[in-house]
Amino acid sequence: MATTVVKGLNEKGERISSMEFEKLVRQAAASSSDLLLESYGQHNIGIRLQREDGLNITVKGPSGQRLGCMGMPGTTIVCEGSTSDDVGYLNIGAEIAILGDATNGACNAMANGKVFIGGSIGARGLTMTKWNPEHEKPELWVLGSTGDSFAEFNCGGIAVVCGIKPKNPDNILGYRPCVGMVGGTIYFRGKTDNSYPKTNAKVTQPNEAQWQWLTENIVGFLNKIRQPELLEMLTRRDEWQVLMPITPQERALMFAGPMPMAEFRNEHWNKEFGGDPLRDLAPGLDRSNIGVIVSGDLRRKKPYWANCESAAPCTYYCPVHIPTVDRLRLIREGRIEEAYQLILRYTPLPASVCGAVCPNLCVENCSRMGVDTAIDAQLLGQAVNIFEPPQVAESTGKKVAIIGGGPAGMNVAWQLALSGIEAHIFEQDDKIGGKLAQVIPWERLSQAIWDREIARFLATPNIKVSCNVTMTKEKFAELHKEYDYIVIAVGTHTPRRLQFPGNEKVLAALDFLKKAKSPKPLPVGREVVVIGAGNVGCDVACEAYRLGAEKVTLVDIQKPLAFGKEKAAAEALGAQFRWPVLTKEVTDEGLITNTGELIAAQTVIISIGDVPALSFLPESVETVTVGGAAWISTDKAHITSDSKVLAVGDVERPGLATNALGAGKTAAEFIIAKSKGQEWKPFDKQVIPQKALTITHYIPMDTGTSEQDQADRCLSCASCRDCHLCETICPTGAISRQDILTSTHDDNRSLTTSYEYVSDDEKCIACGFCADTCPCGIWTMNAF
Amino acid sequence: MVPVRSVSVTPSSLTPSDLLWIIEHREERCTLCGNCTAVCPKGAIRLAHMRKRLPKLDVFSKKRGNEYQTFTGIRQETEQSKLCIGCGMCSMVCPNEAITPVAGTNENRTLFFENRKGEPMKRGGRRNATGPTLLDRIIFDRISMLTDPALDAGRHEFSVTTTLGRVLSPEEFLEKSVSGGWIPPTREIFPFVIGSMSFGALSPNMWLGLLQGVAYCNEVLGIPVVMCTGEGGCPPWVLRSRFLKYIILQIASGYFGWDEIIRAIPEMKCNPAAIEVKYGQGAKPGDGGLLMWHKVSKLIARLRGVPEGVDLPSPPVHQTLYSIEESVMKMLQTLSMAFEHKVPVYPKISASTSAKSVLNNLVRNPYAAGLMIDGIDGGTGAAYNVSMDATGHPIASCVRDCYLDLAKQGKQNEIPIFAAGGIGKNGNIAQNGMAMIMLGASGVHIGKYMMQAAAGCLGNEKNRCNVCNLGICPKGITSQNPKLYRRLDPDKVAERVAEVFMSINTEIKKIMAPLGRSQSLPIGMSDAIGIADKAAAERLQIKYTC
Repeated sequence: MATTVVKGLNEKGERISSMEFEKLVRQAAASSSDLLLESYGQHNIGIRLQREDGLNITVKGPSGQRLGCMGMPGTTIVCEGSTSDDVGYLNIGAEIAILGDATNGACNAMANGKVFIGGSIGARGLTMTKWNPEHEKPELWVLGSTGDSFAEFNCGGIAVVCGIKPKNPDNILGYRPCVGMVGGTIYFRGKTDNSYPKTNAKVTQPNEAQWQWLTENIVGFLNKIRQPELLEMLTRRDEWQVLMPITPQERALMFAGPMPMAEFRNEHWNKEFGGDPLRDLAPGLDRSNIGVIVSGDLRRKKPYWANCESAAPCTYYCPVHIPTVDRLRLIREGRIEEAYQLILRYTPLPASVCGAVCPNLCVENCSRMGVDTAIDAQLLGQAVNIFEPPQVAESTGKKVAIIGGGPAGMNVAWQLALSGIEAHIFEQDDKIGGKLAQVIPWERLSQAIWDREIARFLATPNIKVSCNVTMTKEKFAELHKEYDYIVIAVGTHTPRRLQFPGNEKVLAALDFLKKAKSPKPLPVGREVVVIGAGNVGCDVACEAYRLGAEKVTLVDIQKPLAFGKEKAAAEALGAQFRWPVLTKEVTDEGLITNTGELIAAQTVIISIGDVPALSFLPESVETVTVGGAAWISTDKAHITSDSKVLAVGDVERPGLATNALGAGKTAAEFIIAKSKGQEWKPFDKQVIPQKALTITHYIPMDTGTSEQDQADRCLSCASCRDCHLCETICPTGAISRQDILTSTHDDNRSLTTSYEYVSDDEKCIACGFCADTCPCGIWTMNAF
Repeated sequence: MVPVRSVSVTPSSLTPSDLLWIIEHREERCTLCGNCTAVCPKGAIRLAHMRKRLPKLDVFSKKRGNEYQTFTGIRQETEQSKLCIGCGMCSMVCPNEAITPVAGTNENRTLFFENRKGEPMKRGGRRNATGPTLLDRIIFDRISMLTDPALDAGRHEFSVTTTLGRVLSPEEFLEKSVSGGWIPPTREIFPFVIGSMSFGALSPNMWLGLLQGVAYCNEVLGIPVVMCTGEGGCPPWVLRSRFLKYIILQIASGYFGWDEIIRAIPEMKCNPAAIEVKYGQGAKPGDGGLLMWHKVSKLIARLRGVPEGVDLPSPPVHQTLYSIEESVMKMLQTLSMAFEHKVPVYPKISASTSAKSVLNNLVRNPYAAGLMIDGIDGGTGAAYNVSMDATGHPIASCVRDCYLDLAKQGKQNEIPIFAAGGIGKNGNIAQNGMAMIMLGASGVHIGKYMMQAAAGCLGNEKNRCNVCNLGICPKGITSQNPKLYRRLDPDKVAERVAEVFMSINTEIKKIMAPLGRSQSLPIGMSDAIGIADKAAAERLQIKYTC
């Protein structure tokens, strides 16, 4: 078929409009498949032209913008010179060859087809290309170079930029190519300024498939632009590089900066300082990165197994500091004999005091009350009654005189004796035991138990007792010379009285109770009034009932201080408590109050306390006057102003039998320490706070009736119960139980354990679970 | 004697529902791994063992009694010193999403007891005021649509730097150029400056991470970011490095670390970017630094030239200065001279109704290179809560007034005003900053935003975390304890700094491009902004847009 020529100039030689030119071209293409367009700057040449048998268009003369725009498959366009902007715009299949250069915007939004450029292109080439998977990828071949902003948002376009006679030999791809590129491939040959965004594209060497594609197709390109002789020059593989898009998945893993930070740190940052910039301020400071869950020295806290470093409430609040918690532990461990030995090292009178007369301060703060009820301390005390005394130590040759054989003096003697110091008790009465023996009714302190404990006491080596000794200044002076120490434990044996009319008709409680316990009690009337409604008053009331009274009234000027067993016993017998009652006078009819009321009584007994009788005291021992009576002043170790003389018990200040026992033990320990040349250490443990314990591991149950029951119920405050809970809860397996070797000759063996729990620093993450779990409050978390 | 079973209450006894942050723990998901209690910075949570009573309540059975069940759970402390701060580190380390703090919806009872030992509440962070700020509500409403060529932020070349330093009037400049007189130094810097956070308020890893990021921005990205040291001095090796040129050295009433700075002057490779003379700050006007002993580690003590482990309250004002005139004379001149008049020196003040007077004074002083104004929403490492929440002046109207005042005198291009305080409070960093610039600031300082964006600071304005003052920062940003600050990798901070500034850089362009502007920051270009708030529009003299 013949070539049809379409001219861009009319007969008059004037340029025809792009609209008219396009109409003419379309008409020509309808009848001819071979067109020669002598264009004169018309735009959109070749737009949407197609013939089933193909269409060949040759463009001669200046072509306008958008040559080959919306080019269709099967259409071939050859432009024999250079072309203007946007060649191949929205091309969907035409093959366009430009023998010269193309200006800006070449192949913008091209989706299919091929554009061959025999020279170079301007800015924004190959932007916004598309690739429809139903069709081939669009291709742009450039013999020379590209302008700036090449291949922006390139999506499907394959470009080949050969770098022959480039516009800028130093940069054949222009400034910042490939911004927003998401697909396609750019083959290039020659220098670039490396300004492509590193998060959009990456440079590689062509792989086998790419190289094969390039070498196969470049022949056709060179033929199209009529320069086949360049083939050899353009098929040197090492001269080619490829720009490929980075996938969003790859990008998500990348740091957006153009240089990895580690490289910047090593090559620029650190080099400038020649090392760590803080090395002069803090030599050796390690600032390297660590995690948030750490072990070893990087922890902020660390667990500590503080076994037995605090006191259980029972130990702490007992005036003798009897370690009930350890006794119960020994029972749990099956070391029954040691358990008794342990208690007898603290008191000679466990059954009489702990088991009978003591209000058991030990269990007033028993932690078990958080679960159900306190440990039954009375039961525990009574259980020791039949047990033999501990072995006494070898005699030291020292000897101590003890004036007064009440509970304070007895415990001084007992402790000294067990430590091998001779203890000589000088007792005013015909028997030892003080008020326990003299005034406590047998109803409250069983005679059988008492006698057995006194017998055990008296049978103990190193204890000597002299009864019926009246102490005088002279006698005291003798003892002072003869003995290493004197301990005054005379108690209070002078009843306190009030001066109201008829006070001579009133009996003193002390005298009444002493007589009541003797074979010849004093007679009592049918009605009895007791002035002073404390616990001694209650004992008086009980004894009065026993001796025949029918009605006992206790009066007091304030709310009665009586409590516990004494009060309960008096109330059970029918005693009436009245307060506030001020006594105006006592007559044969009874007590007349200051309001004039008569409380009928044949016997009136006053029970407002007793005071010490200290006529034997030398001037070297100072006293303090409180409430009209003199009391011996002492320090923490019970030493008086005379360093050889100690004082214990009620003679210092009135207290419970247990206070007296405690004072006796402390004083004895002082003497023992001194005699061994050791430093005396008072009991100084802190009581464990309740919140340190985890009591919810225990469930409420009955109190039980045996020592074993109490041992099972004991929460083992501050004393490891070897339950393994810490080992179990530890999430990192850091805690283990390890045996420790202990000497079998150690006196304190009963107070220590043969094992310990250890936390491995390298495994522990300091979660504190051990401390939060430990039922006994042993594990603590310490900052470090 | 108090029975063991009794529960004692005190005036400050609290229940978990009284608290600002309530720990929600799902026992069925808990693996008892211990991570949460190990990581908690306050010791606010513990493993609890609980006992449940199940009474036998079968009406047809004569048997009575109870069964007991024990179970575990993570429970929170209600003791004031151990209250949960909502940082959420527990959730971060929980392998099974079993634990998280949630904001208490009840009234915050704890606030009533934040005064133990008679000491009012102190904290870090910024004003606890939530919701959009005024800056957040400003929109850029002048868009060039086909009228003048719209610009493409991604492709066009922009110049977005700002001038720090005194710019002479053209007449004066010519005169000085001809006569060889002194022309005040200026710097072309990125308009978003990392504000003054001291080496001490920040951990070493945070401070150096920021500087490393700043160096990267300058040397790799070509974004000329500078940062201000705060008043804790500057490590000697840094003073002697080329990175000094990215640093604004601050001198404040505490004078910490200035001996090292002066000692380093003869050995400096370059000049610092500028000197900031701090007279006040936005978060706590009338208070100086409050670095507490927890944070005065051996390293900090060494750098600051103070004993270890002591409180370092700085006085609210410079002790030997009594008036604006004297301050300007003494400090600006001295510091300018110290660097041979080659370094811009400018004062930083708290935003205040009196800011204009300060500015007018500076206008007359050739040594004043600018004015930095810090508004009420500024952050701090430690301040009294009442200072932070209720003392100060919002930045927008303060800077606007100052700028308009300058404009009235025709001096608006001669002395730059920098603004700070709440820029990026809700994350809208570039928008806030550009709004501020269009209101008249030459640039903004950002501190708290950088901690949040570059290091993952967990603090917020619902009083989350905000324990910067205690040195227990769970991210290691404001702690001086290596066990905490080693959690923070300076490389990662630097990377984030780079990312933040790359992103701000793009956003500035995205804001400037529609204005058809690419070559100079739209400082004071208030015709391009509007706000849907009539009162604010009137006050700021900008358009009311609705």
